[in-house]
Amino acid sequence: MNVEPIWQADVQQRVFRELVEAFSRPGDIREIGDCIDGAAAQRAVLATLMDGEMTLADPHGQIEPADWPLLQAKPESVERARYIVADGHRAPDFQPMLGSLESPEFGATILVGIDGVGEGALTLELEGPGVNGRRTLCLAGLHPDWLVRRADWVGSFPLGVDLLFSDARCLVALPRTTHIRISGKAF
Amino acid sequence: MNAMSHNQAGNAYNFGFLDEYAKKEVRRAILKAIAIPGYQVPYASREMPMGRGFGTGGLQLTLSLIGPNEVVKVIDQGSDDSVNAVNLRRFIEMTCPGVSTTTATAECTLIQSRHRIPELPLTARQILVLQVPYPDPLVVVEPSEDKRKTMHGEADYSRLLVKLYEDIVKFGEITISHRYPTRINGHYVIDPSPIPRWDVPKLNDSAALILFGAGREKKIYAVPPHTKAEPLAFSDVPFRVEDFRDEQGRRRACARCGCVDSFLDEFVTDSGSKTYQCSDSDWCDMQLSKARQTQGEPA
Repeated sequence: MNVEPIWQADVQQRVFRELVEAFSRPGDIREIGDCIDGAAAQRAVLATLMDGEMTLADPHGQIEPADWPLLQAKPESVERARYIVADGHRAPDFQPMLGSLESPEFGATILVGIDGVGEGALTLELEGPGVNGRRTLCLAGLHPDWLVRRADWVGSFPLGVDLLFSDARCLVALPRTTHIRISGKAF
Repeated sequence: MNAMSHNQAGNAYNFGFLDEYAKKEVRRAILKAIAIPGYQVPYASREMPMGRGFGTGGLQLTLSLIGPNEVVKVIDQGSDDSVNAVNLRRFIEMTCPGVSTTTATAECTLIQSRHRIPELPLTARQILVLQVPYPDPLVVVEPSEDKRKTMHGEADYSRLLVKLYEDIVKFGEITISHRYPTRINGHYVIDPSPIPRWDVPKLNDSAALILFGAGREKKIYAVPPHTKAEPLAFSDVPFRVEDFRDEQGRRRACARCGCVDSFLDEFVTDSGSKTYQCSDSDWCDMQLSKARQTQGEPA
């Protein structure tokens, strides 16, 4: 039986370790292209984290219909899903779960597909847990509304959402604790 | 099956003992724990082939993180050779074929520890997993978990501070020797597991990710790298670590390696006198080796 690498446990373990690094060090770009053998990074992340216990929303139709049965995730509306897959070119026209004071882990994880991680005109200055001092991050193909909406979503810690940006081969995370500035202006 | 397990020939279990669904559950909790520093993320803790309280929480974290190229170190109260450490190391070797184990802190990529953070500063390529018996520092002041969750969410630690204040009134200082409540990133206060006070400052601005696993209490929490970790204290009664000075005010040295800047364990000798030795056995070996090299002896 020929199984695509992203569905294999050893590949998922390596992708997970890259996710651990990405969330531990916001703005640090993690290259996973080599271990997932040409699959899109976002698809590999979904394969790594999804199972029948998780709810997943796909408001922009990013997931191939053939992948849903393999992911086993329960489809859910974007307002109630634990994980959301979104197209970064489009403005976020939804309100994700932010969790509650008692259970902030119910704040959604949003996987945002963009053109390029570590390149592009949009330069973010990052501070917060996991960032040693300050770090800059460039993103290409992200609709500007994302940062404005994220600022609303993460405004009342511990409530918030955790973002994971990806292009074809790379990942970078912005958990809810990361402070973003663009040209000195806070987002 | 959305994760093909990787059984290896001759091994009756999946790599890492846990099935892939159990790993996914732990992995999702780990990522949320990192994203919300200090928050205790509930998870479906699995039954392990050892009793709860023997490091099953830490072990589930280790087994969910571990890959075939890992170099693992397991320590119990600083020692690589105590019963808990040896058993867990053997279990990892048995269920994770290909994984290397070591006692050298500098060489490992993943450390599972009970009650100590190694003396050698950790690096960015390492992850420390601590075994936790009681994850919630508020349990001493509030029995209801529902209420504790609200207090954590609101960062309401006033009753905990009153408890510390009562200590000062009774004894002149805060008497907590281990599990010292520590505030992470200015919000959540964690129980940093029964590490001594000596190790608490190592949580602050650590280069390595530190994960905490409580198997019986079914909680995972984290201190990400380069995150502020402040032990609870008062401005006029600052936090202090253990004092290893003798009656004459001299810093006690390790009886084996002579180190004067490590955390020491106290032993009573056969004659009834007290002697002190480094708690971290790998650190002690390193110091001994250095001392011998300086004296021109073979290490």
